[in-house]
Amino acid sequence: MQTPILKLGSYLIASLQAELTDTDLLQLQSNLVEQVGRFRASGVILDVTTLDVMDSFATRMLRNIAQAVELRGAAAVIVGIRPEVAFAMVRLGLDLRLSGVHTVLDLEEALALLDQRKKGPAGHG
Amino acid sequence: MNDDTEPADHRPLVQALGITEQEIARRKAFLQFDAEDAAALAGINGLAEKYAEPVIEAFYRHLLSFEETREFFQDPKRLKRVKNLQRAYFLDLTRGEYAQAYIEDRLKTGAIHERIGLPVKSYLGMYNFYLRAVADHLFAAYQDTPERALKAYQALLKLVFLGIGLSIDTYVQRREQLIRAQQDAIRELPTPVLQVRERLLVLPVIGALEPQRARQLTEQLLDSIRATRAKVAIMDITGVPLVDSKVAHHLLQTVSAARLMGAAVIMTGLSPQIAQALVAIGVDLSEVRTTVDLQSGLEEAEALLGYRLVHPGADGQAPS
Amino acid sequence: MAEAVSLPIQSDADIILARQQARALARALGFSTGDLALVATALSELARNIVEHAQRGEIILNQTRQGTRRGLAITARDGGPGIADIGLAMQDGYSTGKSLGLGLPGTKRLMDEFEITSRPGEGTWVKVTKWVR
Repeated sequence: MQTPILKLGSYLIASLQAELTDTDLLQLQSNLVEQVGRFRASGVILDVTTLDVMDSFATRMLRNIAQAVELRGAAAVIVGIRPEVAFAMVRLGLDLRLSGVHTVLDLEEALALLDQRKKGPAGHG
Repeated sequence: MNDDTEPADHRPLVQALGITEQEIARRKAFLQFDAEDAAALAGINGLAEKYAEPVIEAFYRHLLSFEETREFFQDPKRLKRVKNLQRAYFLDLTRGEYAQAYIEDRLKTGAIHERIGLPVKSYLGMYNFYLRAVADHLFAAYQDTPERALKAYQALLKLVFLGIGLSIDTYVQRREQLIRAQQDAIRELPTPVLQVRERLLVLPVIGALEPQRARQLTEQLLDSIRATRAKVAIMDITGVPLVDSKVAHHLLQTVSAARLMGAAVIMTGLSPQIAQALVAIGVDLSEVRTTVDLQSGLEEAEALLGYRLVHPGADGQAPS
Repeated sequence: MAEAVSLPIQSDADIILARQQARALARALGFSTGDLALVATALSELARNIVEHAQRGEIILNQTRQGTRRGLAITARDGGPGIADIGLAMQDGYSTGKSLGLGLPGTKRLMDEFEITSRPGEGTWVKVTKWVR
């Protein structure tokens, strides 16, 4: 299942659907990295609002994606972790794995964060 | 409080109130009520049987002539019941024997009057009327031997005050039961979640945090962050007496979960005891923002939110 | 619904199916939203362990009772290499192969009860239970 990627100005928004396989996630990573390069995107928003479980695998993959796009010069933001998913992740210890990655409540917050970063001095984040 | 049926606790009241035989002996000693007094009262038993009816009738006429006390004895069934109790009490006073059963009856009477909501002042006023009415009859009957009347009257005073003390005990016990029930009810209340500013929540946590309430708290906090798009939440635990290690870990997990949702949690009102206990448990307080009281917590929250608004693009905004 | 549901686990698609089944069963049992997430996450971790270390195995879902309590028991078993040192595996941070090393101790934290049996060459058997509260 292809994850749809939307372009919003210089940002890319990927809305992850529940039930993504390993292959789907690897494909998403590769698509995002390619598009960040092609569009010179400065930000990548990973929307996990529809995910009702985030296990260690999904967390690792998201972190990998974040790191990969950051290597290409874009900031990564994870958006929409549900309350019960957030708590389960913390119980499992997964929040530590995401400690380098921005996590915010919703798209509006993600855009505000990315806009701020653009205005600030280069290299901050 | 408005039924005059027997209390649901079927233990004898002496047990429920913890009034032991030693305690009764202590009270009698304090009032200087002894065997001589008991004998003096037994000695006027015949007289008591004669003046019982007129005294009781006068007594209830008095009660019914005042609006405040009338309302408690409106119901004819209730009135009849308490009159019978009074008559029995009346004659009990001159029985000459004042042991366990006597004490239990006094407690029951007190409990019944408390249950119908009769105020203490009225209860005491009733005793007072009764004593004066008896005094009239007693001194009239022993005109020629007033010292006998006086002896009997003093014995009666002692015994009646013993009874007053026991009745008030039942009032106090019921009040204490009520207070405990209310405290239990308060403990059950969910923590309110207050939105004090845009993007700012305050949760004043009150009472002991046991696992179920802690879970409730987590749910409320995280759901509210989502619903109000809060960026900062203040959890004030000034009103929490103790926290055990499981609950402490749970609170920290809640703070981390809030962080994943893009909200910073400030814990305020940690008493020195709780702070020390948490450190002893091995909880890492460096992971959590804490301030000494709610006021400083609010100031820090405003700095977190306001700073972001005033200096867009500067580093150090609310962590994600 | 007293019978056990047995689900073969061989690929990550199976993990997704197993999660869906577990979630449906847990919801039918009356678990809260929060506990549903814990159960689904635990199942995901156990199933993934099978795929990553043993390539194939099965997950068995069971309704269970204890007095007045109702619960869901998840058994994950495989014929894989087994774990040489369970004590070590149950410490946070232990890592083999591709996993983050958070699987077992973390899974234990998510559930109410946790049992494990494993020997090198004899596969692994893990059973976790969560009670409805």
